[in-house]
Amino acid sequence: MIDAVLVMNTQGKPRLAKFYKSLSPVKQQEIVRKVYTGLSSRAEHFCNFVEADEIFGAGTKLVYKHFATLYFVFVIDSGESELGILDLIQVFVETLDSIFKNVCELDIVFNFNKVNTVLDEIVMGGQVVETNSTEIVKSVQEIFK
Amino acid sequence: MALSGMRGLSVFISDVRNCQNKELERARVDKELANIRTKFKNDKGLTPYEKKKYVWKMLYIFMLGYDVDFGHMEAVSLISAPKYAEKQVGYIVTSSLLNENHDFLRLVINTVRNDIIGRNETFQCLALTMVGNIGGKEFSESLAPDVQKLLISNSCRPLVRKKAALCLLRLYRKNPDVVSVDGWADRMSQLLDEREIGVLTAVMSLLVALVANNPDAYWNCVSKCVRVLERLTRSQDIPQEYTYYGIPSPWLQVKTMRVLQYFPAIDDPNIRRSLFEVLQRVLMGTDAVKNINKNNATHAVLFEALALVMHLDAEKDMMAQCVGLLGKFIAVREPNIRYLGLENMTRMLMVSDVQESIKRHQVQIITSLRDPDISIRRRSLDLLYGMCDVTNAKDIVEELLQYLTTADFAIREELALKAAILAEKFAPDLSWYVDVILQLIEKAGDFVSDDIWYRVVQFVTNNDDLQPYAAAKARDFLDKPAVHETMVKVAGYLLGEYSHLLSRRPGCSPKEVFSIIHDKFATVSTPTKAILLSAYIKILLHSQTVDPELQNHVLAVFRKNETYLDAEVQQRASEYYALSRKGPSMVDVMAEMPKFPERQSALLKKAEDTEVDVADTSATKLRLMQLTSTAVVVADQKPANGVHPALTRVPSGQRNIEAPTVPVANGGQSPAPVDFLAIEAAPTHSAPESSPLVGPGDSLALALMDNQASTVQVSSRSGSMRSAEKTAAFFMKILSFRQADYYFPCYNVLLQIGLKAEWRGNQGRIVLFLGNKHTAPLLSVKAVILPPRHMQLLTSNVPDTIPPRAQVQCPVEVTNLSPSREIPVLDFSYNNSSAMVSFKLRLPVIMSKFLQGATLAPADYIARWKALMGPPNKLLQEVVRGVKPLPLQEMSDLLGSLHVAIAPGYDPNVNNIVGAATYFSENPTLCLIRIETDPADRTQIRLTVGTPDTSVALELKEYIKERLVDIPSGAAPTSLPGMPSPADDLVGPAASLAGLI
Repeated sequence: MIDAVLVMNTQGKPRLAKFYKSLSPVKQQEIVRKVYTGLSSRAEHFCNFVEADEIFGAGTKLVYKHFATLYFVFVIDSGESELGILDLIQVFVETLDSIFKNVCELDIVFNFNKVNTVLDEIVMGGQVVETNSTEIVKSVQEIFK
Repeated sequence: MALSGMRGLSVFISDVRNCQNKELERARVDKELANIRTKFKNDKGLTPYEKKKYVWKMLYIFMLGYDVDFGHMEAVSLISAPKYAEKQVGYIVTSSLLNENHDFLRLVINTVRNDIIGRNETFQCLALTMVGNIGGKEFSESLAPDVQKLLISNSCRPLVRKKAALCLLRLYRKNPDVVSVDGWADRMSQLLDEREIGVLTAVMSLLVALVANNPDAYWNCVSKCVRVLERLTRSQDIPQEYTYYGIPSPWLQVKTMRVLQYFPAIDDPNIRRSLFEVLQRVLMGTDAVKNINKNNATHAVLFEALALVMHLDAEKDMMAQCVGLLGKFIAVREPNIRYLGLENMTRMLMVSDVQESIKRHQVQIITSLRDPDISIRRRSLDLLYGMCDVTNAKDIVEELLQYLTTADFAIREELALKAAILAEKFAPDLSWYVDVILQLIEKAGDFVSDDIWYRVVQFVTNNDDLQPYAAAKARDFLDKPAVHETMVKVAGYLLGEYSHLLSRRPGCSPKEVFSIIHDKFATVSTPTKAILLSAYIKILLHSQTVDPELQNHVLAVFRKNETYLDAEVQQRASEYYALSRKGPSMVDVMAEMPKFPERQSALLKKAEDTEVDVADTSATKLRLMQLTSTAVVVADQKPANGVHPALTRVPSGQRNIEAPTVPVANGGQSPAPVDFLAIEAAPTHSAPESSPLVGPGDSLALALMDNQASTVQVSSRSGSMRSAEKTAAFFMKILSFRQADYYFPCYNVLLQIGLKAEWRGNQGRIVLFLGNKHTAPLLSVKAVILPPRHMQLLTSNVPDTIPPRAQVQCPVEVTNLSPSREIPVLDFSYNNSSAMVSFKLRLPVIMSKFLQGATLAPADYIARWKALMGPPNKLLQEVVRGVKPLPLQEMSDLLGSLHVAIAPGYDPNVNNIVGAATYFSENPTLCLIRIETDPADRTQIRLTVGTPDTSVALELKEYIKERLVDIPSGAAPTSLPGMPSPADDLVGPAASLAGLI
């Protein structure tokens, strides 16, 4: 299961934070901070997985990808495939790219409502709902028509 | 740049972005929150557009990490808005801002339901998404049937159906009853025939959850799953949009293989064959490619296939193929593949017969231990730990030790623990083991827990051959420039015990050993100081010819520390000073420690307990493991608490050879001996024997201390603290001694009172021992016993004066005449030349002293019980609440300690305890007792007492009730640290005795 999806910039400012487990706002913020600390020290050529037992409980991992000024982070438990999630991040970013035509951080900042909608079309209740970028774009456009 | 489409929102976001620092940002946010609050208050004037805008702003502020504790109602109310744009905002914001238990959600259940069953697909999707994200129990109950209908409907679009599948999954997680197994297995099987990949992916996620809970019910899905895999791997009927970099939906492939791993085994030969064909195709057909995304996708499928192969316990060839693949992966540069290669190889360890082929990759795995990426190092460490056995332990452990010096702090503790466990488990010889642990302490002392070095001491003590080696090694380590405190502890201990075995070697004369240890004394902590003091006296007394210079040195150290701040160090120093002055006659007292009984290491035991899943032992698990293993050691200490390491060998007969200081010395209280005792918990010396409280008769001798008042006081205080902590156990003990009691309950600086009692029938004989510890006589001594009415007490005369350092005995004859719970009180007073002191002591003459267990045959028991039931009713029954919750066995033990003979099995109900006892007053009376417990609520019982004599029943019932409701804990006794003042009355010693009874 996907426990949370976070997008933050390289300074640690959250750009999107979606949790699929009930957590208090305080705890959510603490997690965002810890995730950032965990990621910011990692070099570019390191692997894309970080064990997150201390942040999110035993057996959880962060699967992340670094694009320009942004980190895309999925917090997952042992029920998900790490590489599969990495693919999913790619799908997420490609979808944003086709919606915003060359997506950049500012797009995500100013359209965080749309980004939320896109995520809802990809992940729902911690499960992958759709992996087909074309399909996702179609349903988002339907919502924002 | 595309804008949010709301000017106000964009302006606010850009304002926040322009804030130079956190304070300004907060000010801006606060201003906005105030603004929104005001707007919401005048709800009437808000246009839907404005409402939407403010709700979005709230979500933005919430995401930035600010508390948004209002406006939830506005967000929720948007869900009910008729217009689509508002509804959408309402759904999205609600699912982020509110959690599943929020009260407001109840308000919209109806709206949500209407959206789900309505005709508008977009509304359906929005509602399903929100429920899928935050749906709670109430949603589960009211929406599940509708969601199910959508999932299996033929007329719904795939878009809706896939969301319905995941929504149902959420509802199922909240309440498994929403899916009734019977119907659903067939439904799921039908759903797996779905052609649309999006729906199929969602259905597969649902199936994973269902199968994980109940694999048996979904057998019929196995063949369908295999068919899905065949379809995917053969690329049949896969629309272009569902291929990812040319691979047919890797997510669906992975999920399907996951489902299959939840079935315990797949036995059908046909299905098995098809499945292996598919897997073989995956294993063979995956090559590394340039495009990183494609590479990821192919390997995602490949790793899942590997996991499935392991799960299915495939033939040897296929397993070998898997190990081969993994061997390739752990050698690649691509870090993700290497990480997963290591992780899966660790899982592979659980498969039998492949360990040998995994070992061939050892060098490669060790390379990853030095990778700059900690994620990879962790995986490598886990794998090395898992694959270690006798053949490669030396290499692996040495590699770990080498890595320890450069490892980052985050991983050191885990590393040290793993190295210690492996060294112990697979040591080819013990000297190597000692080397490893000493090196471990040297390199990472801060990360070596106490049980690691305790274990070394145990090994060395139990292996004579090892002793000179270990001592010599320890001495070498002390020579190094910076020595970790743990090293000082272990070296101090080992040299104290065994340095005399080295005395002929250069640099190892007792004097040299002493001085090299003592160099560290000034800088170590108090617990270590205590260990070192024990080492000194051992070194001194073990040396064959007494070196006067050494003796002077050591004595000077003891002397100096007699006034040390810490009681334990102070006590050891003063006792050792006294002992060492006796010279060689004390050699026996300070002999080497006896061998420890063989027992399993706490570390190893824990390691073995978790052996089953050792392969995926994560850092946290290990840390947890370590915590509990420490806890085990702590628990082990309790029985030995008070056994002084240096004294464990004192034969009890010798105890009073030299001064009564010896028993008093047992009162060690500081944490130092507690730690130390973890390894000393040798059951050869049982706690009661060595405890001064319930010691043998000779410990009733008065503890006459030397003139140093401070020492006396400290000793007596620590003694009483210990008695506090032991009271609970002690209480049981006193009660259970039917025939005779000895104890030594209280003493202060001047006076010591001991007590000895014997009981037979309704008669008892108590002897009070009154000891004057002072150098001046105690005058006007008066001891008057106030007998309760039911008891006859004959006291002989108490002498008016107790001479200095003398003891008088005062026998008391007790006769029990009628049942009562009243307790006789001793009114004691004396004059100590400066003031009059008086206090009251409650004597331990309690009901259970006059009880004796009675054993009856079952038929007899029942007959008597029945006789008591008939008129006139002699059974007294009461429901007692607020009982201290005890396990049944303990409750039965407690009753047994009151001298009631428990008759197990007499009562058909296992939750009941029955027993019988004879109560001796003027005439013996047989009492039958039954306790009925309620397994659901341990704090209440029904207590029934039956005797032919109602007054006995009444008192006995009350008496037992008191024991059950309030079992004395360690809180009661606090013996007076100084003098009891006349006003003390029932505090001080009186309370201390009262606590005992």
